[in-house]
This record gives sequence, structure tokens and C-alpha cells, in this order.
Amino acid sequence: MRLVETGNHVAAWGARLARVEVVSAYPITPQTQVIEEISRFIDEGEMECEYIPVESEHSAMAAMIAAAAMGVRSFSATSAHGLAYMHELLHWAAGIRLPMVMVNVNRALGPGWNIWCDHQDTLAARDTGWIQLYCATHQEILDTVIQAFRISEDPRVVLPVMVCYDAFVMSHTYMQVEIPDQELVDLFLPPFRSLWKLDLDYPLTHGSVIYPDDYEEVRFSMHQAMDNARRVIEEVAEEYREMLGSYHGGLVDTYRMEDADAALVAMGALASECRVVVDVLRERGHRCGLIRVRSYRPFPVAELRELLGSLQAAMVIDRAVSFGLEGPLFSEVKAAVYGHGDLPIFDLITGLGGRDVPYELIAENMEAALRGELAAESRWPSVRLNEHHRLVKRSLEEYWRREGVR
Amino acid sequence: MVEIRFHSLGGQGAVTLINLLAQAGDLVGKKVQAFPFFGAERRGAPVKSYVRMDDKPIDLRSQIYRPDYLVVMAPSLVDAAVGEGTKENTVLLVNMREEEATHLKALPFETYVVDATSIALELGMVVEGMPVLNIVFLGAVSYVTELVPLEAVTEVIRRNIPPGRMESSMEAARLGFTSVRMVREARIRHHREKSAAS
Repeated sequence: MRLVETGNHVAAWGARLARVEVVSAYPITPQTQVIEEISRFIDEGEMECEYIPVESEHSAMAAMIAAAAMGVRSFSATSAHGLAYMHELLHWAAGIRLPMVMVNVNRALGPGWNIWCDHQDTLAARDTGWIQLYCATHQEILDTVIQAFRISEDPRVVLPVMVCYDAFVMSHTYMQVEIPDQELVDLFLPPFRSLWKLDLDYPLTHGSVIYPDDYEEVRFSMHQAMDNARRVIEEVAEEYREMLGSYHGGLVDTYRMEDADAALVAMGALASECRVVVDVLRERGHRCGLIRVRSYRPFPVAELRELLGSLQAAMVIDRAVSFGLEGPLFSEVKAAVYGHGDLPIFDLITGLGGRDVPYELIAENMEAALRGELAAESRWPSVRLNEHHRLVKRSLEEYWRREGVR
Repeated sequence: MVEIRFHSLGGQGAVTLINLLAQAGDLVGKKVQAFPFFGAERRGAPVKSYVRMDDKPIDLRSQIYRPDYLVVMAPSLVDAAVGEGTKENTVLLVNMREEEATHLKALPFETYVVDATSIALELGMVVEGMPVLNIVFLGAVSYVTELVPLEAVTEVIRRNIPPGRMESSMEAARLGFTSVRMVREARIRHHREKSAAS
């Protein structure tokens, strides 16, 4: 069945096809349509699932933890401030090794208050122990939600998975999606059998105090699980292709990299746009390709080394910033290839708070980089300070001077 | 690829319009993308919406700055709509009576008008005092762009519109399709011919 749907409704379809048993979520723009659609599915009897309405995202994740700890397949969705509010419990879910899947619709953090897209919210949740997968098409949202349960529940992994896609650019955009047959999804994703759960017949306690004697081992096991997830993500993507037909890459997705001597590196919808940039640059005689980072955690270190090692230049597009350093993806791409190539790597920090990024902007900057005309490694190419910004700054300085006399 | 930018007022129904148009494109085998720019959604506030259609998958995700078709659903938005960007061959479709369209002729575009407000009022398509123009424009856009035939439009109406509003919606689409008038020819003739009084 083919639908023309919003990215949010497609995510809801993913949860439905995965036969999620508990959904606990709190509405926040631009995620709201996800849980509205799930509520409708449940109300109309199309989905057998318990929806737990809660008063906050902190409680949403607490309920998810409880449901998953009972061995129940659990799903949530959030965005930006919602994700920030549940941050403590993100650590809990990963730390006690609970499989679950949560969609995060990537939205900027305020203030200034902004409902539009950037990746600051999920990148700030980088080190919580959650696997993070970023989507670039509607079909990928659907397929990744289903795949995420397989990855999360795999006994080699047993970590929660965050499926991320861009606010509005994907969440509220209507595009086509192929809805697979439930029977096929059921074959791909059998019912959840948890590695551990709260069970009166086999009582155990989990997540209580541990002393320095044991804590490092717990953290090391999470690190190993993340390492295992590299192979599992690839395997699951391949198996999905065999059984259901569609494929969006494993840890990375590449475009025209076979003969490339330069590459763009990006995540999310901008990476889709970068395919157009690659085509345009190739028409202008540059052998450029695209590496789309699909899995940000675990990070595709070996893949980036292999793909970038022999190139002459690369440019990373960051839809977030690590204040006081540079774009977070830029830092990590550089770290991955450290000692494995001496190509110059450039960084564009752009598209923050929903700033529209036309493909020409990326193409122009990439061409300038290839001509050796970009002085700074990390740039903000779409920042344009106008008279309004300067006026505000001048009046604040004036106020400070006047008040300072007292 | 064909790119369309819509300028409307909150309450005129543009979000439903682009959704139905995308569904119609899907019916005739096109790859489709439709999205509004979400801002302060209030009744009466200006809204921009975008539609892309192509024969191959659409990778672009940005807004549309050089539309093939510029659709203006409120006459007061013409200047703002043109100011947002056009290209040499942009075709303009405005909600306006033919006799009021004299100043549109000064614009350098192949230009069409449709008196969508009158059609909507005649058919009683009014919500809280505001004429809802989406179905009329669905017909008019079908006529002007030739991207989707009227049969595809009526099919998506059949699939999406509740039975109580079905008959008036079908009529709105038909009238939108047949009431478009050309008010200015293209400076350079396009490959396709359109008569001024069809």
C-alpha cells in the first residue's frame, strides 16, 4: 500500500507495524502528529496498544522504563525541550539496558523560542548510551522505526534506540511511502523477548547502588554493546532489504562515492539535499560524492576512514554547534580519520533553527573549498547580521554605559 | 521537476490543498512533495506552501525560490508573492475577477485569474465567515499546470472529502477548472498553447 503522508504519520505507521504494546508520550511541536495518529489507530481498533498519557516528558520516559522492564515493546516520541526534560531518564533507560524505541523530531532549543529544525537537541543527548539513527526520507523513517526494534532488542545490543528526523522539513512534509504488509513485518520483527525483565518467579534488582568495584564494568559493557551494535545495524539493514525490499544504508549511506576524490558529509534531510549538490558539482567537473551518517551512535569510524582516507578534501555540514569549539559532526569526522589520511576537512554550520539551506549555498562553499579559497576550516555561511541585530547590540551597550555611572 | 509556490491566508485551506494536490500527483504516477512553511498559524495570516512533482525521486528539501507556478490565493498577497522570488518563465495564477486584473498585466508573467472567492461563496464553502478556496484552486491548478488531470482531482476528492461535502466539492473543483481566464500571455511563448477564453 502506498500513502502520501507526513513524516510524523509515517513514524506512527512504523510503531503500528512494529506491534508496539505501550506508548507513553507528551505532545510537543513538531512531534504531536506522531502520537495523535497513534491515538487514532488505537481508538479505531487498528492497533492493540496501551497509550499512557502523562503530564511531562520526564514521566513519559519513566513509564517507558517501567513498561520495558516488564518485557513489553515500548515506543515514545518527543522533540527538543521534551528530550532535554527527560535527559536524566535517558541515562536510566540505557544504564539498566532496556530495549525501546523513541522518535525524536529534531527541533532547535530555546531561547529564543523556535519550533523549527536543527540537530542540537539529539546531539546534546549523545552520551546517554542511546543508539541514534538519522533519517533522510519518509520511507527511511518507517523502515528505521521497525529496524530499530530489532537492533534494540538484539541480545548483543540491548540498548534503547532514538530514531531522528528533521522538524517540518520531514515531520510535516507530505511525501510518498510504501507501507509493507503486516505479515512481512511480523516475520522480520518477531515478538519481543527480553533478555531480562521484572519477574516474580526470578526476582532480581537492577540499577541499584553499585560501588567503584563494579561501576566501570557496567559502563564498559554498555560501550561493548554499542560496539556490537555496529554489526547489528548493518545486518538488520541487509535483512530488511532481503525481506522487505528497501534499503537506506547501514551505519552510513553513500552517493556517487565510487570514483570520488572529494566528499560531503551530512546527516538528516540536508544529506538528501546534498545529493543534488553532488550532481551539480559533478556537472561542473568536480568528482564529488556524499557520505550520509545514518548512525551517529555508534559512530561509523571504520567506514569514514575507508571512505575518506584516500580523498583530497571533505566538507561536513553541521546542523548544530558545540559552543566554543565547532560543529559536533565535524569534530567527530576529524577524530575518525586522525592518522588515516591527511585531507583537509571543512565545516559548514548552517540550517540552525530552521534556516532554509538552498543547495547552491553548499555547492558554492564546496567549490570554494576545492579551489583552496576557504580560509577558515569551520564557517557559518548563512549568518547575516542585519541592522536590527546591530541596533539591539548598540542599545544594550548604551544601557550598560549609562547604568554603569551609578 | 515542477515547483509550485502557494501564497494564501490562514483559513483558506492551503494545507489541505497541497495535500490533495500531492495525492493527485501520486495517482498519476508522479513523485510528490508538499509542505507548508509553518509559522504563526492564525486565521488571516499569510501562509506559504510548496509543492514539487517529478518523474524521479525528489531529493531537494529546501523552500522554493524560483517557482514554475506561483499561485496567489488572496489578491492582497500578489506583491509579496512576487517579491519572494520568481524566474523568467514563472506562470502566475491569482484569485481575482478578470475585470479587476488590469494591474496584473504589468507583471512580466504569463498570468491567469480565477474568481475563486465567488465560486466558494456560491457553493456555501465558508468556515467562520471565511471562504474556503482549496477545492476551487485544486481545479484551477489542475487546469493551469496540466500536472494532474481533473479526473485525478475528483478521485482524491472522492477519497478524502466527507459525504456531506462531496457534491459541492466536486462542483467547486469543476468550476475551478473551467473558470480560469488568461489575462496576460507569456513574453516568450511556451511549448504549450492556452487559449485566453477556454
